[in-house]
Amino acid sequence: MSIPTLQGLQTALSGLVAEQAALDVTGNNITNSDTEGYSRQRAVLETKEPIVIPAISPLTGRGAQLGTGVSAETITRVRNIYLDAQYRTQTSSLSEASTQSEELTQAQAAFNEPSSSGLASRISAFWSAWSDLANAPTSLAAKQGVVAAGVSLANTFHELSAQLSTISTQAGAQYTALTGPSGEVQNDANQIAQLNGQIKLAEEAGQKPNEMLDRRDLLLDKLSSLAKVTVSQQADGTDTVSFGDAAKPLVEGTKVNWPQALTPAAGGKLGALLGLTSPTGALSNYQTALDNVAAALAGTVNALHTSTPFFSGATAATLEVAVTAAQVQTSSTEAKGGNDVAQAIAALRGGAAEQGYAALVEQVGAGVQAAKDEQANLQTTVTAIGNQRQSVSGVSLDEEMTNLISFQRGYQASARTLNAMDSMLETLIEHTGTGF
Amino acid sequence: MTERITPAMVRSTTLNDINSSLANLERTSNELSSGKTILEPSDNPYGASQVVELQSQLDGLSSYAANAQEGISWENTASGAMANVSNVLQTVRELLVRSSTGTNNQSDRESIATEVQQLTEAVKQDANTQYAGQYVFSGTATTTAPYTQGAEDAYQGNNGIITRAVGPGVSINVSTDISSLLGNGQGSADGKLLDTLRTISEHLRGGSAEDVSALGSTDLKSLETSIDTLSQLQATAGSVTDQLQTATSRIESLQSSITASLSNTEDANIAQTSIAYSTEQAAYEAALRAGASIVQESLLQFLQ
Repeated sequence: MSIPTLQGLQTALSGLVAEQAALDVTGNNITNSDTEGYSRQRAVLETKEPIVIPAISPLTGRGAQLGTGVSAETITRVRNIYLDAQYRTQTSSLSEASTQSEELTQAQAAFNEPSSSGLASRISAFWSAWSDLANAPTSLAAKQGVVAAGVSLANTFHELSAQLSTISTQAGAQYTALTGPSGEVQNDANQIAQLNGQIKLAEEAGQKPNEMLDRRDLLLDKLSSLAKVTVSQQADGTDTVSFGDAAKPLVEGTKVNWPQALTPAAGGKLGALLGLTSPTGALSNYQTALDNVAAALAGTVNALHTSTPFFSGATAATLEVAVTAAQVQTSSTEAKGGNDVAQAIAALRGGAAEQGYAALVEQVGAGVQAAKDEQANLQTTVTAIGNQRQSVSGVSLDEEMTNLISFQRGYQASARTLNAMDSMLETLIEHTGTGF
Repeated sequence: MTERITPAMVRSTTLNDINSSLANLERTSNELSSGKTILEPSDNPYGASQVVELQSQLDGLSSYAANAQEGISWENTASGAMANVSNVLQTVRELLVRSSTGTNNQSDRESIATEVQQLTEAVKQDANTQYAGQYVFSGTATTTAPYTQGAEDAYQGNNGIITRAVGPGVSINVSTDISSLLGNGQGSADGKLLDTLRTISEHLRGGSAEDVSALGSTDLKSLETSIDTLSQLQATAGSVTDQLQTATSRIESLQSSITASLSNTEDANIAQTSIAYSTEQAAYEAALRAGASIVQESLLQFLQ
C-alpha cells in the first residue's frame, strides 16, 4: 500500500491553517499588549493523526506511520494561578497598610505638630499667661490674657477632637459606601457571578473562554484590595470566592452572598477601615488620650484655682473656660496683690497634661511611621510578584515580533510545500498518459 | 530559559524607581527649605515628642527670665525709694546734731521742726512708691498705699510676701517689710522711724532743756537705730537683686543649652542635607535618562 496521492496537499493546507491561527493569536497579543489584566495567549499546535502505511518496505515488509500535518488544537492563556493567589494576598496586605497610612496621616496632620500653632504651643502659651499674671496679679489685662489663652487652648482641643471624629466618621462612611447595595463589593461580586455562569457554559461547550477568565481574574485582583480573597476553582470552571472573614463565600457559582458582616480581621481596605474606627482602634485611642490630656489639664488647674473651677468639662470636646477675667484667682488669700495661685498654676508647665500630650504625639507619629514602613515594604513585594506575574503572562513585543516572523515564514513555507505538491501532481497528471 | 521581561515590567519598574527617586528628592528639598528634619511626628516620633517638651521648657525659661527681669525692676524701684529715705535720714541727722547744740534759739528750732515734718511726709511718700501700679511696700495688699499722707502714721499694708518664680520650685521673695523701719507712728510708741521723727518734732517745738538734751541723746540714738535698720533692708534688697541677676544668667545658659538640643533634634544639617540633595538629584536624573532610553527600545526599531 502506498501513500494517498493527495495527502501532501492536505498536509500543506493544515500548515497554512495552523500558522494562520498562530499569526492571528500573535496579532491579538500585540493589540492587547497594554490591556489591563490581559494574559498572553498561545495557539496550541498539535500533530494530526498519522496515517499508517503497512509494508512500506518491499524488502522487509515493515510498515510506517506518516504524519499528516498540524492542527491548532486550542488557544490557551499563559497564566500561573499560584502567582495570582500570592499577588492577591499581598495586595490585601498592601491595601490595608495604605489605608491605615492614609487615615493616620490625616490624623497626624490634624495634630499639626511640631509647629507654633499646635496644641502643645497653646498649652505652653496658657502657662506663660499665668506666669505673666503672677507678675501683675492686680492687672485686669493680665487676667484677660489668661482667660484668652484658656479659650484659645479649649478651642484647639475642640478642633482637634472634631477633626479626629471627622476622620473616623469619614472612614465609617467610606466602609458603608464600599459595602453598600451599589458599592464596589456588590458590583464586583455580581460581575464575577455572571462571568462564572458564562465560563461554565463555554467550558461545557469545550471552549477556552480566555477573555472571560482574564476579566474574572482582574475583578478578583480588584476585590483583593478590599479584603482578603481566597479563590477555589470548581470542576465546572466557576470560582468560589471567600471574602475577608465573611461567614459564607461571597460568590458561589452564580450566587452572590452579600451583604455580610466583616471584622477588622477581614484585611484589605475594609479591614483597615473597620480597625481604625473600632472602639479599640487607633482613632479612638487618640481621642481617648486627647480626652485624658484635657482632663489632666482641667483637673490640675481647677485643683489650684479653688475659688471657682477655671475649666468646665473634662473631655477634649467639652473643655471650656468657666470664669470671667474678674473671677480669675491669683492668690489664696484675700490680698489682691498675692500671686501664689498664679505661680502655682504657671508651675504646672511640663506636668501630666504636657507629658501625656507629648506621649500622644509620639504615639501618632509612631503609628504613621509603622504604617508607612509597612506600606513601602509591601509595595516592593507586590511590585515583585506583579513583575513575576507579568513575566509569565505579560505580552513581550520583542517575543511577539519574533513569533510573527516565525509564523509568517512558516505560512510561506507551507504555501511553498503546497506549490511543490501542485507541481508534483502536475507532472503526474499533465506529463503522463498523454498517449490516451 | 531566562526570565521573560515584558515592556509592562520595564515600565512599572522604571516608574517605581523614578517615583521613589522623586519622593526622596522632594523630602530632602522640604528639609532644605524648612531647615527641619522633623516635619511631622512620623519622621521621628520620639524626636517629635522631645521637640514638644523642649519647646515648652524653652517657653517656661522665657517666663522665668521675664519673672526675674520683673523682680529686678521691682527691686530697683524699692531700692530707689529706700535710697531717698536714706538721704532724708542723713539730712534729719544733720539737723538733729545742729539743733542739739546750744547755739540755736527756739525760733531756729521751730523752723527745723517744720523741715523735719516736711521730711517725714517725704519719707511716707517714698514708702508709697508704686511699680506698674502696685505699691511695692504694701506686702500683698499692692492696691493699698502703705501710709497715708498727713497725721495718720499707721501701716496700711499687710505682711504678705510677694515672690517671683525663677525656676521650677525656685521662688525669690521680692517684698521689703517697710513697716519694720517706719513702724506705726507715735500712737504705737514702737520707737520706729515715724515715731522717732514725730518725737523729734515735738522735742524741737518743746524748747525745754530736757527736750533739747533729748534731741542729742535718745532721739539721735533712735534715729541711728533706724538708719541701721534701713541699711539692713537695703542690703537685703541688694542681695535679692543679686540673686535675681544670678538666676537670669543661669536661665540664659539653660536657654542656650536647650535651644541647642532642640536644634540637634529637629534642625536639618544643612551641609549634609545639601550633599544628599545633590546626590538624589543625580540619581533622579539618571533614572529619568535610563527610563527614557530603555522604554523606547524594542525589536520593532530594528525590523525592516
